[in-house]
Formats: sequence, C-alpha cells, structure tokens
Amino acid sequence: MSTDRVGIIGIGQSEFRSRRDDASYPELVREGVALAMQDAGLDFDAIEAVVYSLSPDAMVGIGNAERLGVDAVGGRNKPFLRINNGGATGISAVAAAYYHVASSMFDVVLTAGADKIGECGDSQTVLNKIWDPSYERPLPLGTINMLAMSAVRYMQRYGMTEQDMARVTVKNRRQAALNPKAHLRKVVTIDEVMASRTISWPIKLLDCCPQSSGGAAMVLASERFIRDNHLDAVWITGVGHSAETYWMGDRMGNNPTAEHANAYALGRSFEKSYRMAGITDPARQVQVAELYAPFSNTEFHAIDAARLVAQPGESIARLRDGEFELGGRIPVNPSGGTLCTNAIAVTAMARVAEVALQVWGRAGAHQVMGARLGIASGNGGDHQIFGTMVIEA
Amino acid sequence: MGLRVQPGVIGCAIRPVIAARNRSLEEIIYDTAQLALADAGIGIDDIDGIVVASNDQFDGRSISVMMASGPVGGVDRDIMSTPSASEHAFILGALRVGSGQFRTQLIVSWSPTEVSSMSEAQRLGADPYFHRALPLDELSAHALQASAVENAQPTARAAAEAVAEKNRAHGRMAWPDPPLHPMPGPMRWPITPAMTSAPVTGSVTLVLAAPDFIAERGLRDVAWLRGMGWATEPSFLGDRDLADAPALAAAARQAYAAAGITDPASAFDVAEVTDATPYAELLAYEALSLCPRQDWAARAADGSFSRGGRLPVNVSGGVLTWNPVFCTGLIRIAEIANQVRGGAGPHQVPNARCGLAHAGSGFAMQYQAAVVLAQEARP
Amino acid sequence: MMELLGRQEVWNITYDHALGETASWFYTRIRDEAAIYGRRCAKTGRVLVPPRSFSDETLLPTTEWVKVGPGGRIEAFTMVYERFNNLPEPPYAFGYVLLDGADTALGGYFKGIDLTNPHVAAEKLKIGTRVTTRFAADRKGEMLDFWFEIT
Repeated sequence: MSTDRVGIIGIGQSEFRSRRDDASYPELVREGVALAMQDAGLDFDAIEAVVYSLSPDAMVGIGNAERLGVDAVGGRNKPFLRINNGGATGISAVAAAYYHVASSMFDVVLTAGADKIGECGDSQTVLNKIWDPSYERPLPLGTINMLAMSAVRYMQRYGMTEQDMARVTVKNRRQAALNPKAHLRKVVTIDEVMASRTISWPIKLLDCCPQSSGGAAMVLASERFIRDNHLDAVWITGVGHSAETYWMGDRMGNNPTAEHANAYALGRSFEKSYRMAGITDPARQVQVAELYAPFSNTEFHAIDAARLVAQPGESIARLRDGEFELGGRIPVNPSGGTLCTNAIAVTAMARVAEVALQVWGRAGAHQVMGARLGIASGNGGDHQIFGTMVIEA
Repeated sequence: MGLRVQPGVIGCAIRPVIAARNRSLEEIIYDTAQLALADAGIGIDDIDGIVVASNDQFDGRSISVMMASGPVGGVDRDIMSTPSASEHAFILGALRVGSGQFRTQLIVSWSPTEVSSMSEAQRLGADPYFHRALPLDELSAHALQASAVENAQPTARAAAEAVAEKNRAHGRMAWPDPPLHPMPGPMRWPITPAMTSAPVTGSVTLVLAAPDFIAERGLRDVAWLRGMGWATEPSFLGDRDLADAPALAAAARQAYAAAGITDPASAFDVAEVTDATPYAELLAYEALSLCPRQDWAARAADGSFSRGGRLPVNVSGGVLTWNPVFCTGLIRIAEIANQVRGGAGPHQVPNARCGLAHAGSGFAMQYQAAVVLAQEARP
Repeated sequence: MMELLGRQEVWNITYDHALGETASWFYTRIRDEAAIYGRRCAKTGRVLVPPRSFSDETLLPTTEWVKVGPGGRIEAFTMVYERFNNLPEPPYAFGYVLLDGADTALGGYFKGIDLTNPHVAAEKLKIGTRVTTRFAADRKGEMLDFWFEIT
C-alpha cells in the first residue's frame, strides 16, 4: 500500500439558510469546524495547520475577514493562510490543504470557512466590481447576466431550451429535498420554473442559486497518520486547477480558445485531475458528480466539461432521459448542488464534502448506492478559474 | 517534518517603488512577472503553477486574482490566490513544489496606491461587531504595539530610534532616490514620522523550482529553501500580549528546526525583517532569537545589525525606505533570495551564504513567517 | 426569547485607477474621433478589443492599433428585468459585439429595442444579428459614450 495518499477524515457543514442572525461570522465558521472536528474525532491540538476559505471580503463586509476567523479555527500560533479563488475558493482551499499534506510537512490539516451572503445587501454590486475598472466596470455586468450570455450561446450552438434549463432546477430541488443541509428544499415543477420572473434572459428566478449563509470545514490527513491511528477515510486521488481568459469577449468572436458557451478551463482542470487519478474514461468510471453550477444552464456545460457525455451539448438530451438524477447512470448534484445552496466562500468546499460523503456511504437519504468514485468542481471569477477533484473510497 | 522535494528560488524581480502612472495595475503586474522570468532565464511555458497575492480593498477589485491572472500567465495554467499575505503566496508555492507535483511556481504580489485612503481601506479590516467604530488602521495597531513594547522594555524607544536611523542609512546606500521625508500627517503616539514611511506602489515576483528542473536546465544561482515556518496571532488585539510575538517565535522554531539551525544569532550572514515600524523590528529580533530585549539598546548602538556588522539587517533599507504595503513581506524573502544568489546589487552583503527573511503583516504583525534560504541545499 | 441586534455598515471607498497608455489612447479616440480601436497581437495577428498592451494568451506585447467597426455582429446578449442596487433601472439589454475587423468581442448596451416581451426581443437580438455602433454627441472618453443599435 502506498504511503503517499492524502485522505479526508472529517467533514462538517451547517444547515444552510438565508440569514443567520443568531450567529456572528466567526461563530458560523466555528459551527462548521466543530462538526468536522467531531466527525474526525480529534481535538484542536491535533491540527497542525489551517487553510482558510473565503472569497470576496465585501460579501461579509470585513476586510481580510479571515483574520477574524483565526480563533474559530483554533489557529492561534499555528500555520495559517487564506485562499481566495472567487467562487472556486472552497475547492481551492481543500486543494491548498491537500498540498500542505502532500508536501510531507504536515500530517493533519484543517480547512474551513463560512459566508453570510444574506447580510450583504448588494451582492450583485460586489460581484459587479470583480470586473476591471479600465473597461468593463461601467457595464452592468454581474454573475447572473454573464451566465445568461453563456446560456444564449449554448442555446444557439446546442439547441438548449428554457424547458431544458428548468429540468435541471426540478432535478436538483427534488434531490435537495432529501438533503437536510441544503438551503432551498422545496420541490418545484417545470411549469413553476417557467412561470418565475425573468431576471436576465433566459435566466429566471428559479434558475438561480440562492444567497446562503453557513459554514463548512474538512480535516485532511496523511495516509501514514490515518493508518497509524486506525482512522476511517476517503481519498483525494486527483486535483487540478486551470483558468481561461478573463476577457469574456475573447471567449466569442473568431476562433476563441475558450468558448463562452462551454467551460473550457473546467475541461482542462478535469484533464489534470483525471490524469492524476488515472481516469481514462470518465463517462464509465465516474459514479457521482458534484459540479459547481449556480444557474441551471451551467450544469450542462459542466457535465460536458467533465466528459460525462461523449460530445458537448449531449448533456441536454441525457439529462432529459434521466441519466443525471438519483437512480440514474451518473447522478449529478445529488445534494441539490449550488443551485439549491450557495454560501460563496464554502460552496465549492461543499461540493468536495458531498462527494466525499457519497463515496464514504454516508450521504443519507440522497446517497448514490454503491458510489466509490466521484468528482467535484468549483468555478471562480467571471467563469474563469476552475478547480476539480477526484475522490475515491 | 521537511518537504518531500526541496524548492529553490531561481529568479526574482523586486520593484519596491513604482512612481510612474503610465502603466495600469495589470500592466505593472505583467512587467514584474516578465522581469522575474527573464531573471530566471525561463519562459512562461516553463511555469506549471502560479500563486498570487494582493488585497482586494487596496486593488479596488472584489476578486483581485481575476483580472491579474492574465498578466501573470494564468491563462490555461493552474493559478491560486492567497490574499491573507504576500508571504503566504511564497509559502503555498513552496508547498506545491515541495509536494513533488509541480516543477515550478511563479509567485507574484503587488500593492497599488489607487485607493483614496489607505487608512479607510485598512479600517475595513476591523470587525463590525466591536472594533469598527474605533480608528483602527494598521498604523494605529502598530502604535498600540509600540506602546506595549515601551511599557515592557523602557529602553525600547532609544533602540527604535536607532533602528530607524540604521534602516534609513541603509536605504540611502541601496537606492539611488530614497525618500527624504517620511509619512506626513498625524502620527500615532509613540510612532514618530521618522519611524514610518508613506505607502507607495510596488510589486514583486519570485520563481521557485524543483531540484530536477534546476539540474536539467543547469541553473546556477539558486537560493535553496532550507526551512520555513509561519503562524498567526489571535483575532482581537485585546486577546494578545502586544509586547510579545509568540506567533513569530513559533514560526521561527519551525523554520530553524527544518533548517537544522541551533544558534540563530550566529547562523546567518544577512537578514531582512519586516520593519513596518522599528518596534516591529525589535520584537522580531527577539522572537527570531537574534537578540533578547534587554540587549536591544546595546546592539542598536554598537552597529551589530548595521551594514558591515555581525549580522546586517535590512541592508535593503527595509519598509522604512520603501513601503509597498501589501508586498513588504514577500519583498523581504526576495531580498534574501537575491543576497544568497549574489544578485542584490548595491546593497549586496559579501559572501552571503545563508540568509533569514522575516515577513509580518496585518494588524500589529498578526501574521508572521520566517524563511531560511541558502546557497547550499544542505548544511 | 433572545433579543438579536444588528449593525449597518456601508463600504464607501473611492479609487483613482491609472488606465495606462493603451486604455487612455483608446478612450481619447472614442472622445475625439468617435471611433473604436483594437490592438494586434504580435504572434497570432489577432485584433484584440478592448485593446491591451499585451496578449494574455501569448504574453507578448501587442504591436499596432487597428480601427474596427462601426458595424459588427452580436455574439452574446441578455435582457435584464430585475432591479439591483447601484446598477441601472431595468429593463435594459446589453451584451457583446464582434466589430468588423476585430477578433474578440466588445461589451456594450443594445438600445432602441422593445424589451416588453423577452422572447420577441431575444429573436431580434439573436446571435449573428448585424448592429452598428452609435456614439453620444457629447463624449467624455468612457465606455458609456457608445452603444449598439440593430441595423
């Protein structure tokens, strides 16, 4: 048996909600941490280093808010740093923790964070200021309309309809209903999605993720530590990041390298983690997927990029056929996914956490039976930076 | 425990002050990254991972890595961001090379001065629950620490004034146009104008590589990472003993253990300390086991830490000379890398074989790091 | 029952961003000439709009200014019907246009279209639709000096 692997030994997630007026931001961080430490069966002395997960400071309204979270993660006098890769932050934080252990410098590392999007009255204002002041800031760009434009191009290339988009919401809500940690758990119908008000065409209200508050944490450990302490674990066997151009207009026009309809860099990121994990035929080998998709249409290009289908665009028909729901060939977002819960700082960590629970057999009512190999992804920036992982039993 | 693979610094570009306004921030970042690649003698295609660090509030961008990714070569490449501190980008980059999964890392940080009030931007770092209504920016936090240090060690003021003078003298020798006047405006007792310097725009880039890459390319001027440690103080200033730096002591222990250093006071030929104020430098002397507090005044007076002395500290002139706020920690690491590689220019310390870099940032040095770099991979 | 209190905080910071020579020149052409220019990438020959002093794909400096437009085709669009703080009053349409002579698309508002029915508007704005660039009579040298209208 190799002694080089990095395992997950503890997972904690809040029950995500719109607002958490009962808890300050550090208290919310502590919530996820306490659950993960309990799950790992360790006390704080065992944690050798901390990786903090936090994307835009402006969302929580505190500059370098990770400094406030030091005590919540038991970080006093310990190695501590923070990751911010936009929406991908959570998976990038797990990746950073992975490198801490894989470097041989540490045996046990905690990664944690929280978000209180509900407290930020202007999340789209904050998300407008991710664009550069030189050119695009005066335009009313935000994450919703940016991905509405991706939807428009995906419709033109692959024939996606608004009903196809609605199907994603219906699937994910039905799955979230089985997940006590999810934020939006109310089952909806295609008609209800279609009747919901248009935000930025073709994205309607029920095609959008919520603004969630809550915390999440994970404990990673070296294989040696896991073996020496007779711990139960699942394994991170593939990790990768890749980015595409920041310029959205460069993902259109003449022969773009990265096409805005698709998720080019997500595909490149999966290539890296698949190669590392030795996965050569994802459509056959992957048994469960938690793919970051904050809007219904984006789940399609995520499935395409993960090569769970043979051709880009094929995901539309396959989803309609039921391949990606619980009970289907490869359940995608059995937790309800980002569409049902989005506490930005930790959403991508929740993707990893959910896949880990799945291959561990601990996903409860939304368990994918017999899943032993799964994938997770996170998206950050203007659909620009992507982190991916392969997790195995 | 040591790293599985030992990284070395193979290139640097230090730009501690960028006065011209003809380049946008993204162009400044591009220029700095290109300079470091040129210094390393490699191209962007040789880079298989990038870590950047900056402060969203200083930059005026909600996710600063987003637009910066292009200039540093992030397109179709693995890029991550550590906005907690510039030195954390070095640390994560070193861990990535250390894991054996990356052969190289480009480490980039920048600190602009486009925000109308640095102080206001920093005040946003105070929590809204208890501290936001206070005038708590970084200078105020340094002042609180300084007053705690003076209270604990009465000779600290004289020692601090001497340290400030030392670093300014070093700065005059190191840079053709050092600033003549320190930060204007109200000071925060006991910090005097002579003890700080105005924020400037700056940027810094380092290139890290694994031994097999270095051997393959026949690269010669390498600063090998012999040890690194980092740690954080707790969140609230009131929970800390500001006259002490336990996080730095913990970080130093970790770095020294990895580097096999048992007598820090005599192990180094050169050191760079983040002197956000001279009191921070004094505290660092102690926490790094270079000089206990009862000896601060004597060592400050006898030139032990001056250029030509037993252990030159901050021959670059330190933060007191140039203060590109967010980058100052990573610049200390880059300065030591350059010293050990023989490329520090006018402020080169002759025969600098082993150097110590201290990086501190946040309110009253909340984040601390210590990095040992040397010409030899092993002692 | 516990009394839960809250605190309101507003982030209000001003920035003075240096645009650099490239973006500055681009805006002076808009202001003084009512024209849009891109920059050519040295290695690929692609004309990048908005212009930059280097290509993020090749990391090489761009070499020359190229006038583009005023005609172009719609590459992406959306119509926004929701109010967001600090963003314009809805409804409005905006998106990206590949101007004639450019290889990458430029963002801007689409004006002069009835947005009452999104499906009708979407048909009018569909990808490939030809548009032209219109400029304000009184220009300051900024992105809002121009917009696109269907021809």
